[in-house]
Amino acid sequence: MALTVDEKSLKHGVLTLVVTLVEVIQEALERQALRRMEGGDLTPEETERLGEALLELDEAMKEIKDEHGITVSVADLHRGLDEVVDDVVDKLVNPARWAEEAGPGGGSGTGTGTGTGTGTGTGGAR
Amino acid sequence: MPDRAPAAPAVPAVPSLQPTRDPRVTLDDLLEVVLNKGAVLHLDLIIAVADIPLIGVNVRAAIAGMETMLEYGMLRQWDEATRAWAERSGSRGLELRDGERLITRMFGGHRLTGEVYSGWRPGSVHLTDRRLVVLRREPREVLWEAELAELESAALETERAVGGEDRTRLRLRLRDGGEALLSAAEPERLHRELLEQTPGAKALAAADGGGGGTAGPAGKDGHEGHLWYHEPRRGGAMWRGGRGRLDAGGLSWKSPVDARPALVLAPGDLLGVRLEERDNPAGSPYTLVLDTPGGEVVLAADALPDWTGPLHRMAAGGTGQEDGESPERRRDDGGPHR
Repeated sequence: MALTVDEKSLKHGVLTLVVTLVEVIQEALERQALRRMEGGDLTPEETERLGEALLELDEAMKEIKDEHGITVSVADLHRGLDEVVDDVVDKLVNPARWAEEAGPGGGSGTGTGTGTGTGTGTGGAR
Repeated sequence: MPDRAPAAPAVPAVPSLQPTRDPRVTLDDLLEVVLNKGAVLHLDLIIAVADIPLIGVNVRAAIAGMETMLEYGMLRQWDEATRAWAERSGSRGLELRDGERLITRMFGGHRLTGEVYSGWRPGSVHLTDRRLVVLRREPREVLWEAELAELESAALETERAVGGEDRTRLRLRLRDGGEALLSAAEPERLHRELLEQTPGAKALAAADGGGGGTAGPAGKDGHEGHLWYHEPRRGGAMWRGGRGRLDAGGLSWKSPVDARPALVLAPGDLLGVRLEERDNPAGSPYTLVLDTPGGEVVLAADALPDWTGPLHRMAAGGTGQEDGESPERRRDDGGPHR
């Protein structure tokens, strides 16, 4: 299968990737900002400045996404990352799933104990 | 894969102190947990070739949210110094002249059209009773500024962004022939207040700067309500309930437990709308199937007629905007024999 990479698709792809990563960072910043505001050692003036700056960042991100038409693909990629994380966490929490995924007959050594113990055994459909 | 909702354990061995987790973990949640707890890394590494060590690496790193850092007594002085410095450096907003009054302030930007780079530069738009200023806070820069007395006309115009969405922009013309295009969070309000401040400026009718908006107004052709989405997953598709929203920007569906919409469909991506008799969790014998470039999207609703009408209209109106920008390929029928 031949891949055609033209300027447009390249720009679209790279931009989507970059903007998604910035979005992840932005989300982390917003949540930490919330913690700091609740922490109570910021002055009201600082709180307001922080809130305004984050709002401005959010508006700027929206503008960039709309302008380049990557809103949908960014949401897709962000969601894809979420799914991967969900999957990995799920496996770490339920080592039983590994044996399940290895399929019948592949039930070899169980995973190295992840220290959660007590397999909650939400067994999949069989 | 069945629903992984926290079901009651069959044998309630230790009902308390069981680790729990949300049915869906997002990357953002994971990052938040890591930052709230903080992570410390001590790493010693020797890179050897043929058992001869050549490069040594010794890393000590800690990463955490600032609140956690301060809890552990790290970086406290730096934190205070940084904030004190910001305090000293004075006002970060727009410096008003004597007697000048700030009318309104909103997020917006200025379109820079240059030789090298053209694009929107975001900041905030300040309207005073003398000037209109677009200011960027970090790093601080006045992106655009004009005296209201210099303003000749202000007009709202519709611009179609690359993403196919219509955005209202504010085009300003100055008496010296200068021109500027501004974006704003509420362009209509800015336009109105700007004209109130400058009675001398002409309010031109909105020039349509893009292909006429084909998408109807959200009010008339929009709908929002409960919607079932047959979400494709790695372990097979499953029905999930959530809220669907249909407006000029397209169709989106979001589950209350998700951080962001699972389905975002632009108007141009809706190729067809069908009703099929399939099993679904809604109280209707029919399931809604949408054809998109990425394959079928399967939905179900209790009140189907509310959705089918607007969707059909969206499918009909969302076409006919292909960019006919295929590069011209001239078939070179060179000489008969080279």
